[in-house]
Amino acid sequence: MAAAGGGGGGGGRATTSGCGLKRRYSPHDKEEETMNQDQSSKEDWCGRLWNGMDLLKDVTENKHVLPTGLEGIDTLLGGGLRQGQLTEVTGPSSSGKTQVCLHSASHVAVKHMGVVMYLDTSNSFSPSRIATIIDGTNDLSDQRGFDLPHKERLKTMMRSIVCKSVFDIFGMFEVLHQLEVSLLNDKVKSGGRKICLLIVDSISSLLAPIIGGKYPQGRSMMISVAMILKKLAYKHNLSVLVTNHMVSAGNGAVKPALGESWKAVPHVRLVISRVHGSNICTATVLKHTLLASGRTAKFVVPS
Amino acid sequence: MGEQSGAQNAWDMLSDEQSQKHTTTGSGDLNDILGGGIHCKEVTEIGGVPGVGKTQLGIQLAINVQIPVEYGGLGGKAVYIDTEGSFMVERVYQIAEGCIRDILEHFPQSHEKSSSGQKQLQPEHFLADIYYFRICSYTEQIAVINYLEKFLGEHKDVRIVVIDSVTFHFRQDFEDLALRTRVLSGLSLKLMKIAKTYNLAVVLLNQVTTKFTEGSFQLTLALGDSWSHSCTNRVILYWNGNERYACLDKSPSLPVASAPYAVTGKGIRDAVSSNHKRARVT
Repeated sequence: MAAAGGGGGGGGRATTSGCGLKRRYSPHDKEEETMNQDQSSKEDWCGRLWNGMDLLKDVTENKHVLPTGLEGIDTLLGGGLRQGQLTEVTGPSSSGKTQVCLHSASHVAVKHMGVVMYLDTSNSFSPSRIATIIDGTNDLSDQRGFDLPHKERLKTMMRSIVCKSVFDIFGMFEVLHQLEVSLLNDKVKSGGRKICLLIVDSISSLLAPIIGGKYPQGRSMMISVAMILKKLAYKHNLSVLVTNHMVSAGNGAVKPALGESWKAVPHVRLVISRVHGSNICTATVLKHTLLASGRTAKFVVPS
Repeated sequence: MGEQSGAQNAWDMLSDEQSQKHTTTGSGDLNDILGGGIHCKEVTEIGGVPGVGKTQLGIQLAINVQIPVEYGGLGGKAVYIDTEGSFMVERVYQIAEGCIRDILEHFPQSHEKSSSGQKQLQPEHFLADIYYFRICSYTEQIAVINYLEKFLGEHKDVRIVVIDSVTFHFRQDFEDLALRTRVLSGLSLKLMKIAKTYNLAVVLLNQVTTKFTEGSFQLTLALGDSWSHSCTNRVILYWNGNERYACLDKSPSLPVASAPYAVTGKGIRDAVSSNHKRARVT
């Protein structure tokens, strides 16, 4: 699995465990001289060393928050989906997870914050729904103040949402790898905007066929894809939103799928549920890196 | 952001979506809540208690997908995968006759004008365009879904795949529930891929049971939570007194809604109390 190995360290030296630590601590290693000459590559190698003030500066200046457009969720999340973080939305069937994804994508498109990449595993990406949501927001004016006709504005906004269908985990690895390569080469689209939001709806349906059972490959692939997503989020300042489904936990209760190993992966986890027959949903914070968990809020999915 | 192969932006997808035709269910009310009918490129699950008309609806869709393009249909063929043995050919013939009669009633003048019209609108032709697979175990079901991809590559005019019912063989023989979940989620991903790649509708028929929670009844699907995420849309058929109702339970773009329908000699049609003035074919 080249993708899994490549996601761990740099290219070429993936066979060394410890990723070059061995070389740092052997002073007479002739490779160290070449490494000293090429200071920047050593830094790329083991990552930049930050101090606290640098980090604070980076967070306040670069790590913006992408609002989802759904008020209750934005309040719970402290503004919205944070760049550099992986947010998970989980919930029973038909509770509104796809709607949260569609709303986030539409909101980013409306505010011209950047390109959205939507990876869809259940053919649930609905362009007409996106168009309805964008029409519903009253803020259709171009930020530069030009008065474009309605259809043109809608076209520009919708063109910044790119959707791809993924139907198995290997396809997913490939898509993420292609994305990584194109981001590294910094190919900017003709619109001049970079990707700022990556949505995977849903990651659990790709992983459900392989996890469980007596062979551990499924779980290692799950952790592998998790690491790649988090690395993309961190390195390229993306916000990543994934959806998960629920499975039964015995005695009629339900719990998020993907098990214990997955629990540590997302930075923020939300559980949502919807009362049958209404469009008021409830969201609860299961885990958050900055805010207290356990808080709930209601939000309405507009029709 | 580089060009991903197979990626499309939302604007292009919107124009594709708006030019898509839907397969009519035979009932105008039901079509309305489904946004025109069953959508291609999506997996629709239809669940209901035994006797409410799931197989009837499955057969109706397999017939309606064949309505020629000049009469507003898709003009495609159908694949019917039967796991329970509930496909009754005599009934299919009856429904095909009912469909043809409605087409002729709705389009009396254009029928004479179309050159090949007389020949095509025969029930025998409708039956000939349904590819039928009878499967008797879960291994056969897995095999046929794996084989479908090759089959559909050779028969590109198939526009609907109906599986009746998708969970039957998985309810009885399986002891290892975790294995069952893995196999079923693998199957559902394959069906999603087939729907998208070959631009057809996949319709899965499923059993449903009622669950009493907090004083109100809730309809839940046969295999529980793990299977309920395996479809794009979900329709639940239920009884309300003496009438049959359909409820759209899950959809990415349409609101939750219910509509009555009826099962008649001619197939699925609007309920007697419906607002639609007459039975519509398109």
